[in-house]
Amino acid sequence: MKVEGRSMKLTRRDLLVWSAGAAAGLMVTPVPWKLLDDTSIWSQNWPWIPQPSRGPVEVQQSSCTLCPNGCGIRVRMAAGWPVGIAGLNSHPTSRGALCPLGFGAHQLNWHPQRLRTVQHYSSTSSWGDARTAFVKACSEGPVVIIDGYPGRASSSVFETFLQGRGSYRVVQSSEARALAPYEAWSGVPASGLGYDLENAQTIVSFGAPLLDGWASPGRFTRLWAERAAGMSEPQLRLVQVESSLSRTAARAWQWVPVQPGTETALAAGVARVLLEERLVSARGPMPPLTLTGAAAQTGLTTDSIRDLARTIAARTPAVAIAADDNPAIAALNIVLGAAGARGGIVKRSKLSTSYVSAAAPIPAARAVLIDSTVPWDFVPQTDAEVFRFAAWDGGAGKADWLLPAPGFLEELTDVPTAPTSAIETYAVAPGVVKASSEVQSPAQFLASIDSTLTTTEKIVHDRCAQLFRGRTGILQSQERTPLAQVASVQKLEEQLWKGAVWVGEALRPESLRCELKEWPAATPSSPPGSWSSMWPAPVLPPLATKLYQESTLRQPPERRKA
Amino acid sequence: MTARNTFIFAFGVTVALVLGWIAFPRALYVRHNQPLEFRHKTHAEKSGVADCNECHALREDGAYAGIPPMEKCAGCHSERIGESKAEATLVNDYIKPGHGTPWLVYLKQPANVWFSHAIHVKRGGLACSECHSTYGESDGVKVYEVNRISGYSRDIWGHSMSRLRRAPHEGMKMSDCEDCHHRHNVEVGCLGCHE
Repeated sequence: MKVEGRSMKLTRRDLLVWSAGAAAGLMVTPVPWKLLDDTSIWSQNWPWIPQPSRGPVEVQQSSCTLCPNGCGIRVRMAAGWPVGIAGLNSHPTSRGALCPLGFGAHQLNWHPQRLRTVQHYSSTSSWGDARTAFVKACSEGPVVIIDGYPGRASSSVFETFLQGRGSYRVVQSSEARALAPYEAWSGVPASGLGYDLENAQTIVSFGAPLLDGWASPGRFTRLWAERAAGMSEPQLRLVQVESSLSRTAARAWQWVPVQPGTETALAAGVARVLLEERLVSARGPMPPLTLTGAAAQTGLTTDSIRDLARTIAARTPAVAIAADDNPAIAALNIVLGAAGARGGIVKRSKLSTSYVSAAAPIPAARAVLIDSTVPWDFVPQTDAEVFRFAAWDGGAGKADWLLPAPGFLEELTDVPTAPTSAIETYAVAPGVVKASSEVQSPAQFLASIDSTLTTTEKIVHDRCAQLFRGRTGILQSQERTPLAQVASVQKLEEQLWKGAVWVGEALRPESLRCELKEWPAATPSSPPGSWSSMWPAPVLPPLATKLYQESTLRQPPERRKA
Repeated sequence: MTARNTFIFAFGVTVALVLGWIAFPRALYVRHNQPLEFRHKTHAEKSGVADCNECHALREDGAYAGIPPMEKCAGCHSERIGESKAEATLVNDYIKPGHGTPWLVYLKQPANVWFSHAIHVKRGGLACSECHSTYGESDGVKVYEVNRISGYSRDIWGHSMSRLRRAPHEGMKMSDCEDCHHRHNVEVGCLGCHE
C-alpha cells in the first residue's frame, strides 16, 4: 500500500535497523551475560572430567612423599578418595605450609602421563618379562640400585638385596649436597647434619632460595614470618647473595648482587675480612684470594665486602647456606664458628650413614635399578641396562625398562628426617589410595625375586619398636606426648599411622667438630638453578597451573627441556 | 534517522527486552516439583520443632549432616498420620521401602567446592536465616528450577536474572561468597573453598 508516496513495504534496510535495535536491546538483557556464565560452567563439566565420588568425608593426616622433606599433610577424603590436601599445622618442620606441588598432589595419580603399563624400549611389555630380564642381569654381573630418599624402609630392602650383588647409590637434593663438605672435615656423614636455623640471628644465603621452596618450605617461611617479616629491625637477618633479584632476594633484609657464579670468591673475600679484622673468635685458614681479587670477580667494591663481613659478624649466631655443594661457603662457616655451634651447622643423629653419590660414573654394572623417588631428570652415567621405576613418564629419559610404580599415597612408606633438619624425625605415610592399575614398588619387585627379603611393612614395624625401646623424644600430633609416656608399641604405631611425628632430642652442638687447615681449592660455582630444578617433579598437577606453571621462574619440565 | 527508522529500531529494542527478560528465563530453566510436599511451618507448630538444628544437625565431628535421614522422619511417620497424598507417598514410597526421599537440593555446589556449615555457623556465628532467609518458616516447598545449560539450580544464580538489588541470601555464586566474606572482613585463600 502506498500513503502519500511512501511505501509500507519492509525493506532490507528496515530489517537491518530492526536487527540493530534488537542487538542493542539484547545488551541490556541478561541473555549474553547469563549465557556466557552458563556456558563457562557447562564447559567445566564435560562428561569425561572425573568427578569425586559423593560419600562420607573424612580427613586423614599423613606426610607428603613427593620429595625427601616429608611435609605434614591433611588429606581430605570423600568416599575413600583424596579430594583435597592442606598443610598440617602440628607438623614439627613444615608447620602447616606446603609447596604448590603438595597442594595438588592428589591430582597426580590421574595425570595423563601416569605410567600404567610396563614398557620396554617404549613398547608395552609385562612384569614377567621385566622380572626375567632383571634376574638374568643379576646373574650376569653387578647391580646398582639408585635411591632418591635414603633411610626409608624401602632403602633398607635395597641394601639387603644388594649384599653380594652390587652397590647402593643415592641421588641427593642440592640442600643435602650443600652439607657434603662438612662430612670430609668432620667425619660425620652429611646425612646426619642439619641447620639450626631456629637459633640463628643472621643467615647469609649464597643463592639458596630460602623463601621460595628451599628444603621443607614451611620451616623457613614460618620462621621468617615470626622473626623478620614486616619488621624494620628484624630478629632474624637474611642476607641474600644472588646475581638476580629472585623472590628470596626481593624479600631479604639485604640483597647482595654479585656476578653470576662468583659466590665462591665472595665467601673467600668475606672470610678474609673476618680474619684480618678479627671480627670472629673462631679460627680458620686464610683464603688465598685477596680482597681486591674478590671484589674484581664479584663486581662488588672492597668496601661493600668489608661492610658485608661486619654486618654478618654484628649479629651472631650467623650461618652461611650454600645452594649446592660449595666448599668455600662451608669454609666460611668454619671461620664464622658456625660449624658445631648453636644457630649453625649441627649434628642431629648419633647414627648416620655415608652414601655414595649416584652422580659419579657407574663402572662395570650389568644393570641399574632406579627407584621412583629419584628425580626424573637424573640420568645415570652408565652403559648398563636401566630398570627405571616411575609413577609418571616425564618424557625423554634413559631407561631400557620403564616400570609403573605406586603413585601418591598408593603405598606404605616411612619418612625419615628431612635433609636439612636440625633434629631427627620419623613419620609414616600409609597407603590410603588403591592404585588404579597394576603397579609395583621396587621393594615389591625385588621381593618377588628374592623371597628372603623383609617387607617394608615389617621394617616399619621394627623401626617403631626400636623407637619405643629408645624411650626418648616426643610424639607430636595435636599434642606433644613424651615417648616415655606412650603405653605400648601398638599405641605408638597407631599414632604414627594417624599422622603423628616422632621428634628426637637435639644433640649438643659441640658434638660436631670440623677441622680445616687449608682454604679449599677454588672450584667454579655452578650456575644457580631455578627453584624447580632442585627437586623437579616429572609432571605437574592441574592445581599448580596458576601457582606454578605460569611463573617464569618455575617452568614445567617439558618447557625447561625445550 | 527518520521517524520510521526510529520506530523500527525501538521495536527491535522492545522485542529484545521482552525476549531477554521474560521469555529467556522461562526457556532457560526447567521446573521440577520436589518429590514430596513438605511444610516447615507445620512441623514447627505440630511437632514442636523449634530449632533448625533439631533436624539439620551437625555431626559430632563438625560435619553438616544435611537433609535429615529417613530414620528421623520414620520416628513419626512410620505409619500414616494424615490423609494427605504427600503423607501416603512418604510412608509408602520412601519410609516403608527404606530408601531416602530424593530431595532436589537447591544450593548444591560443584564437586570442587568445599563448603562447611560448621565453620560458618559455629565459628562465624551466622544464623541459618542469613543464607536461607525464612525458608525454615515456609508453608511449602519451592519449585526446583534447573538450568538447562549449566545443570545447576536457579538458587545458585538467584531468582533475579539481573542479580541487582538482591537480598544477602539470594544467590550462592563464588562472587556471593566473596561479597559476604568481604562484608564480614573474613579472608580465605583459594584453597579455603576449592579442592
